[in-house]
Order: sequence, then C-alpha cells, then structure tokens
Amino acid sequence: MTATTEPPPPAKAPGESRLRRTFSALGAAQAYIGLVLILAVGIATKGEVFLNETNLTNAVGAFASRGILAVGVTLVILTGGIDLSVGSLLGIASMTAAMMLSKYSLEPWQIVPICMVVGGLFGFLNGAGTAWLRIQSFVMTLAMLSVVRGLDRQVSDNVSVGTQIAGPDGKLTPQAEAFQLFGTPGHNLFDRIYYPVLAFVVVCVVFHLILTKTRFGRHVYAVGGNPTAARLSGVNVTAITIAVFTLSGMLAGFAGPIDAAYSASADPQAGQSYELDAIAAAVIGGASLAGGKGTIAGTFVGALILTLLDNVLGLNAVSDNWQLVIKGLIVVVAVVLQRPDLFKFFRGGSRS
Amino acid sequence: MTVLTMRAIGKSFPGVRALDGVSLTVAEGEVVALLGENGAGKSTLMNILAGVFKHYEGEIEIGGRVAHIHSPKDARRHGIAMIHQELNLVPELSIADNIFLGRERAILDRKAMEARTAELLRGLGLDLSPRRLIKQCKIAERQLIEVAKALSQNVRVLVMDEPTSALADAEVRRLYTVIRDLTGHGVAVIYISHRLEELEEIADRVVVLRDGAYIGERSEVDRDELIQMMAGRPLGELFPRADGGGSGEELLKVEGLSVPGEPGSGRTPLREISLSVRAGEIVGVAGLMGAGRSELLESIFGLHRPTAGSMSLGGRPYRPRRPKGAIRRGVALVAEDRKAQSLVLGNTIAFNASLPSLGRFLRFGTVDARREHRAVERQVNELRVKTPGTRFTVGNLSGGNQQKVVLAKWLLTSPSLILMDEPTRGIDVGAKAEIHALMSSLAAGGKGVLVASSELPELLAMCDRILVLCEGRITAEFSREQRPTQEAILEAAMARQKVTTL
Ligand SMILES: Nc1ncnc2c1ncn2[C@@H]1O[C@H](COP(=O)(O)OP(=O)(O)OP(=O)(O)O)[C@@H](O)[C@H]1O
Ligand SMILES: [Mg+2]
Repeated sequence: MTATTEPPPPAKAPGESRLRRTFSALGAAQAYIGLVLILAVGIATKGEVFLNETNLTNAVGAFASRGILAVGVTLVILTGGIDLSVGSLLGIASMTAAMMLSKYSLEPWQIVPICMVVGGLFGFLNGAGTAWLRIQSFVMTLAMLSVVRGLDRQVSDNVSVGTQIAGPDGKLTPQAEAFQLFGTPGHNLFDRIYYPVLAFVVVCVVFHLILTKTRFGRHVYAVGGNPTAARLSGVNVTAITIAVFTLSGMLAGFAGPIDAAYSASADPQAGQSYELDAIAAAVIGGASLAGGKGTIAGTFVGALILTLLDNVLGLNAVSDNWQLVIKGLIVVVAVVLQRPDLFKFFRGGSRS
Repeated sequence: MTVLTMRAIGKSFPGVRALDGVSLTVAEGEVVALLGENGAGKSTLMNILAGVFKHYEGEIEIGGRVAHIHSPKDARRHGIAMIHQELNLVPELSIADNIFLGRERAILDRKAMEARTAELLRGLGLDLSPRRLIKQCKIAERQLIEVAKALSQNVRVLVMDEPTSALADAEVRRLYTVIRDLTGHGVAVIYISHRLEELEEIADRVVVLRDGAYIGERSEVDRDELIQMMAGRPLGELFPRADGGGSGEELLKVEGLSVPGEPGSGRTPLREISLSVRAGEIVGVAGLMGAGRSELLESIFGLHRPTAGSMSLGGRPYRPRRPKGAIRRGVALVAEDRKAQSLVLGNTIAFNASLPSLGRFLRFGTVDARREHRAVERQVNELRVKTPGTRFTVGNLSGGNQQKVVLAKWLLTSPSLILMDEPTRGIDVGAKAEIHALMSSLAAGGKGVLVASSELPELLAMCDRILVLCEGRITAEFSREQRPTQEAILEAAMARQKVTTL
C-alpha cells in the first residue's frame, strides 16, 4: 500500500473475481477433494463394476431420499437450527403413501401432494414450537422425532404395508404399476431416467436457486448469521424460521413415497436414523451448525460422498459395522478440512 | 526507561497490507496515543502486541529483552493487557465470572472473586453488583467492565483500543483518573482514540499511522497538524452545519409515549414522551448512561410495545409493531451496537448493505445481483469505505469502516426519517466530518434526523433542537437560537425526580 490516500481505494468492480465466486458458490473445495478421492478408490478397487451407469444410478437412487432430506436440513441449519425429525417424517410420509395406494387406490400424482402436506404440517409444528414457544429446535425436533415415529407405528399397527398391490386379475393394479416409477430399481421414467436421481437433482437445483437468487434465501442466511441484525433490518425472523421447518417437513414428505417405492413397502421403521445421514451430508458439504454458512451445492456434494462411500464399501464387501465406523470418521475429517486456518497454518500464513 | 519496543512490524491479510514496517517505543509510566484514520492499522498493531495474531513480521522487545508473543497467553505472561475495540465479554456470565475468566482457581472462590470485582468496579465509579449478568449491562458499562478486567491482573503495558467510544463525559473523567493512577505506578499505556480533544488531555506523545505505515509523532497536540498527518490532506470544518434549516412540514409526532421497562434486561422505561421532528430538521437526544436514549429511538422503530401514547408520521397515524413496519414507512435506525445489532459479520458488505432494501433489487422474484452490487458500490464509495470490494467480509473491516457499512445499508432504503444512535462512535475525524456533512445534506434534502449522542459538542454543533432525557422522561428542550451550553444540558440530564409517579 502506498502513502497516498486521496481518494481511498475504491471498491473494485464486482466482476473481479467471478471465477473464485463461482467456485465458492459451488461449496467447500475440500468436499470436492473427498469426492474425487472416493471415486478414485472405487475405480481402483472395482473398476468397471463401480464405474458404470447402472451401478452409479442405483447408488444415487438408494441415497436419494436421504439426499432430499439433507436439502431440507440444510435450510434449517442455515438459520442456526437443527431438524432431527426428518427421518420420522419420511417414515410417516412413506406410510401415508403406501396406505393411500393400498386402501384408496389413489394415483401417484395425488399421493405425492398429500404426503407433502402431511410432512409440511409436522414441519410447521416444529417451526411454530421453535419460533413462537421459543423451544430450542434440537429439543423441539427431538420430541417430534419421537411423537411422529409413535404415530407411524400406531397407524400401521406395527406391520409394514406393501406397495406391490395386485388387482383381481393377479397383476399389479395400474396405480401400483405407476407408483413403482417412483423408485423401484429397474423401473424408469421415459425408459432412461431413474426417478429418484431426477427428483434429487431437481430439488437441489430448485433450492440452490432459492437460496442464491431470492430475497427469502438472503433472509435465511441473515437469520442464521445474526438474528438481531436481521430483525432490525426488517426481516421477519419468526416467519423465516417457521418457513424453513415447514419446507424441511415438506421435503421429507416428498421423499417418503420415493423411499416406499424403493423398498416396495412402507416399513414402520422406515427412515430411522436418516436424519443423521442428512445432517452429515450438510456438514460434509460445509454447512456450519452455528448458522449462516453453507450451500446446497455443498450439501449435494456431501450427499454424493456418502452415497458413493456406501456403494464402494458395499462392493468391496466391507461389513455394515465397519461402514458405520468409516462414515463417522469421514464426517470428522471433512469438518477438520474445512477449517481455513488449518490450511493457512500449513502455508505458514496468518492466523486471526 | 523504555519498557516496550516494537520494531519494523508488518502484517498482511489476504488482499490487504495492514501494516508495513511500523516501529513504536513506549517508556514506563508514559501514555502514548495511536492516531490514524479508520483502517490505518492501529488495532492490528495492538492485536499483534496482545498475541491475537500468530504470524507477523518484525520484533517485539519488552524490558530490553526480545519477547516472542504469538498467543494471548504469551502476552499475558509479559504483562500486556488489552481492552479490545470490539468488546469480548460472555453475555451469559456474571461480571465477576467474566473478570476472572480463564484465571479462576480450580475450586471457585466466589466470595473473593466478588469482593475483588466490587472493589474494581468501585474504582471505576460503577455501581453494579458483581453478580449481574453481562447481558443486563449497557454497552458503556460493558466498556468499563473491560477496563476492570484488564486492571485485575498485573500489567506492565496496558493497551486501550477506543475505551471511551461509548462513554459520556463523567465516565471518561473517571477513566482518566484511573489511567493517571496507573502511570504513577510505572505502567505504560497505549491509548487509541478518535477524539482528539482527549489526546490533548491524557497523552504524553501522539504517534500517527496512515495506511499501515508510521507517519510521525508529536508531543504537542496541534489539531490541524495531526489531522493533516492522519489524512494526508487538510480537512474541512468538523461540524459543517450552517445555522438554521428545519422549518418544513412536521414529519414525526410523538405524543405521551410510555413504554414499560424490562426488569431483567436493565431497559429504562419511557414516560410520557412527546416530541416532534420536522422535515429538514436535525433533532438531538442528550442524556446520561441509562437515560433512555436508545429505548426512545428503538420504540420509534417499532422494537418495543408502548402502553400509552400515539405517534404519527407524515400526517398519518404510525403504529409500527416491528422494525419491518417502520422500514416500510421510511424509517431507519442506525443502532448503537453495530456488531450485535446491525451486521451479519461473517457475510459480505453487499449482503449486509442491501439486506433491508432487497425489495428494490427484485426482478421476477429474484435478486438482480448486478443492480444490487452497483447500488451498494456507489453508496460504499460515496461514504469512502476503505475496502477491496463489495464482496469483502464485513467482519474483517476496521471498526470505523463497519460503521460506514451500517450507514450505507440504511441510506440504501431511502428513508424519510433517520434515527441514529451514536452514529459517529469509533469513527475517525475525517469520516466524522463526512458523516456530519451527510447528516446536513440529508436534512437539506428534506429528511428528518433524530440523533442520540453522548458527545455534547457534536449535538450542540449539529442539531436544530436538543431534547434532554433523564430517567426516561424529557427534562428539557433547547433550540439552536437559545444557544444552550454544555452545563445547561448536563444539568437537565441530571434532573432526577425524587418521587416517580406511574
Ligand atoms: N482479519 C482480517 N482479515 C482481513 N483484513 C483485515 C483483518 N483485520 C483487519 N484487516 C484490515 O486491515 C486494515 C487495518 O485494520 P485495523 O482494524 O487495524 O484498523 P484501525 O486503524 O484499528 O481502524 P479503526 O479506527 O476503524 O478501528 C483494514 O484495511 C482492515 O480491513
Ligand atoms: Mg481499530
């Protein structure tokens, strides 16, 4: 810096670092390193068996419902909250879907909105408890996790409800046939497109755009970054809080039918501990539980990492137990890698 | 005898060379003032001394021996204590717990801690219980508690980064007594302040920094010369408001406004406040700590529910239930505590500046980022914010530049009535003159300005009228024609009522 001060350095044109911005908008760079590593391990150990369209599509399909949950959880985390109830909400939505199909023979396009409303209602209650009753979201959604799981088991009488419903002629009913397209492996939309993958990608794109391009998105970041400043700037903090929980519930409702179709049945235990995968995906993708920091792109990459991890370990016949251990370690490593000061430290730079 | 030598200190942040070859020596019992514009590098230099930064260039000597200071712990071991510009207290803990934080015995000796705390607080003229929680203390009280915390340990060098920015006159006097007492015992004090008149009184020597470089030092305070050194240019008049102005339409009218206090938070209740602000007028609000100045501005901004009284804005009834409603009616509040109330520190300048006015930049329901950045950039340049760009993280700006971002944010909403709570706190003389000029031009542009400040000279010079608050009620009103003196205002500010009704 020189000694002349007149005028002070002007704010530079916003276009100056487009490349860096695009990159940072795509999430934490470290997450990509993880993705590349896992791909490399997959290719090195299983080659063709790993790297072919069918395997990859099935892998993503198996994880898609959890990926969709992760998007909702990311919204909540961005406002500085947490949503532990998404697994239970997915469970009750998948049960709702299976019952609508078996009892009332509803069409899939009727089932999905109903499930989203069910999920959204419970999500709204989460938001109302957090924003109006000022219950910490961890506590509120923990309670919801338990309540909804109990309801799910009660309405299903503790037995799973199948979605492969046969008609009088012994063949699948047209509704059940159509329902399979939601996620049953081997059943594709327009021959090529596997619905769960499509749904996951679309949800990610839509919410990425909402968060980066709309006023609502800005307000979500503001509430998480500094709720007082947000309120004094005219942000309706209560409404934003309720909205993110409701959206998270609706996304869980959306994921329910996919999960039911994938398993060909709605189990009363469906979705159990999915919330942990969802939170892990968000955190691996760079979201901070303190709020105000994180991206959908990051969560997307985080979900892909978990997906491929499951897949690679499965292909290599690593036992479920070890899979859990490895998954846990990956979360820790990912979070440590995201600490920028760590990198500065290695470069011998400054620490602030 | 020289107690501290800093030699050729340099420090870079990504994209910013904050310090370059700065040297500083301080003798025992000496008060050295650091002076410089916002972003000159004063806090950075002192943060290095206090061990906030691990990496920097140059060398530090204490008592003639090289000292390796790379962590706050190192600094404490060498007898360096610092009162940071941004306060660092844990809101949920008591005053005593905060003062002893990190130095407690394994088994807490509460009695001793509280006794020592009470003693320290008394020394600073604070009448607070050591058990009071920090979150219940006002910002000025917190500032003094930081001082008490620094004094609670053995210090050789005490650094004070803008310790008086939230203090009113009486409290500043008290602080000076404490400083003189310390220097009498051989403690060296490094004092950062933007109030030049303070330096005259307390500093033995003034060192000037500009753009991260050492410019020079003086032991006589010559106002104009120092300003010239700081800014690199001569500066216009400090309070540029021409007499008069303010005969426009009535903009804000408040009648009989009463707002209950909040027992837990130490919020002052307001009692039957009536006032008016005309278009083109600057109205000042004076008062001591706890008089209810902030509460008044916040209530007009819709933050607290009044129990009685009415307001009208632009001739129409005005009943904001939350800030959102106030903003929609064209009211803006530059809040007292920028870090806690105004800024999302981890986010960018553009994010912060456009937050309340995002509606302006919507196109088909999405934010038009190009238009947004252009508008923010224009405003930020106009206020001469020193930053590499609008995508710079606000938390990494110097304190004064953060304040300018807050101003930019509210100007972008094109308000008709601007409420300002200590708008020039922590702002250098040059920027202060700019903000005063801004206030004048806002008024000249037909806007109403209601400003609370603990700097009486500022109010006297800038305002068409001054309201004086004491214990939540208006005890006096002076117009510019009356030419009120500081004494008259202070007298009204201390006009406590013995018997309180209500
Ligand atoms: N952590 C950081 N990261 C990046 N830049 C920083 C950081 N801290 C300070 N800076 C930059 O270093 C420069 C000097 O800042 P500093 O806080 O020392 O200024 P100052 O003289 O104390 O100003 P003020 O009077 O406003 O408090 C500024 O340009 C600031 O933006
Ligand atoms: Mg500073």
